[in-house]
Amino acid sequence: MIGSAPFSLAGKRILVTGASSGLGQATAITLAANGAEVVLTGRNAQRLAETKAAMPENKHVCIEAELTDIEQRNALADNAGLLDGLVHCAGIAAVRPFRQIDKDFIDKDFDINLDAPLLLTQRLLARKQLNRGGSIVFVGSVAAHIGTKGSSVYSASKGALVPAARALALEVGQKQLIRVNYIAVSYIETPMLARLAQEGMGGEMAMDLPLGKGMPEDVANSVLFLLADASKWITRSTIFVDGGHTCQISAL
Amino acid sequence: MMTVDTNSPFSMSGKRILVTGASSGLGQQIAISCSEAGASLVICGRDKTRLNETFNKLAGTGHQALLGDLTDDAVLASTVEQVGLIDGVVHCTGVSGPIPARMISREFLDRLFNINFFVPTLLTSKLLAKSRINKGGSILFMSSSAAFRGVHGMSVYSATKSALVASTRCLALETAKRGIRVNCLAPDLVVTPMLLGSGAILSTNEWLDQQRAIHPLGLGSTDDVANAAIFFLSKASRWITGTTLIMDGGITY
Repeated sequence: MIGSAPFSLAGKRILVTGASSGLGQATAITLAANGAEVVLTGRNAQRLAETKAAMPENKHVCIEAELTDIEQRNALADNAGLLDGLVHCAGIAAVRPFRQIDKDFIDKDFDINLDAPLLLTQRLLARKQLNRGGSIVFVGSVAAHIGTKGSSVYSASKGALVPAARALALEVGQKQLIRVNYIAVSYIETPMLARLAQEGMGGEMAMDLPLGKGMPEDVANSVLFLLADASKWITRSTIFVDGGHTCQISAL
Repeated sequence: MMTVDTNSPFSMSGKRILVTGASSGLGQQIAISCSEAGASLVICGRDKTRLNETFNKLAGTGHQALLGDLTDDAVLASTVEQVGLIDGVVHCTGVSGPIPARMISREFLDRLFNINFFVPTLLTSKLLAKSRINKGGSILFMSSSAAFRGVHGMSVYSATKSALVASTRCLALETAKRGIRVNCLAPDLVVTPMLLGSGAILSTNEWLDQQRAIHPLGLGSTDDVANAAIFFLSKASRWITGTTLIMDGGITY
């Protein structure tokens, strides 16, 4: 029975952002397959519905929202109900040579990758929608730790989440026993990676990692671990899901 | 009693796992939890009575106990001979001990490095040389939060534990071709017999209460570490190698 197991999510209600594509989609499906009731959010209603159709049981909810829009973000929070977990998968990986970056480019990246997940979390916490013993997971990038060509702004926004998560964990840890962790992901087979490869910005490196190609399920299983009671003593930590990318002195 | 559905990505069903230091503390619980998740176990330890206790607590059948002190090269060699083919190894032999820097002796250094670093390194080397670890296998070392942050009087212990973190990265690159993964767990204070007497001038219980109060999520249990070990041994972590997971109830700076 998965119901009593430390790796089961039975009885837990989890909000997943970016659930209409890539990592978020795979994560939502994996969480549902392991017993969770999932609240899926994303910008594309049709793809959200497709994701939901791939999930077992009919207890899941889709809420369409553009997370950078304050009204839509607040409406999402207000309709999300009580939660045991929150997984931030929504994000963009816009790359640009450093000499071509400008204020608009930085603002757009930080709006999506940093401001939206922090402000959504803030709203849910302020309204006490995260149950005691809950778990918050930020799906970030190894770029936060290593920096890669063309990703100065992306690395900065994903990097800012690491200490933000660690500070937040101290504020919600002792009294509420809410845990906050970060997953540093390397190149995974997703539509986002395919786009990057087309633009000649790093996607081709995926094949050269020590363990080869990473799949969305690999990230989803780490998210599952961090949401489950199996990780109840883990907070303020980072799991590197990177196929050995960052244990090398250089991938070049 | 833990059970893991065989369809779960965390299932250990069909896996054979070697656990050293299995006669007490973390090693004992890791062995028990892995068996409950479906694995068959080979357990090593020095104390016959306690190793038998662990053996009797294992769920399922097909387990094997190998008695002996792995700091003895002959025992290490015979362990590798008798272990058969395995899908994972968890190195839990270890000793702790505070010593002020001005009192460190060669003898003290030798003892800690021997048990905490040489034994797991040599055992891994011989397991690889004899091709005892199956493709897709997982090697897990037991490091410590002391590898990352300073603790009074723990310079030697911390050095042995960070040696594991550093060698894990290199080993991971060497074994990736065979699809074998290598990772470290770095727990902070978990209530085990090894902590007995760690409080210096305080009684162990007084010291533990003090520590419990300053960890945001309290002290760890051996279950917590065992569940993390299952994550790293199972296919759920298929694409994770060369990493160290700090698990510390949130205390580390």
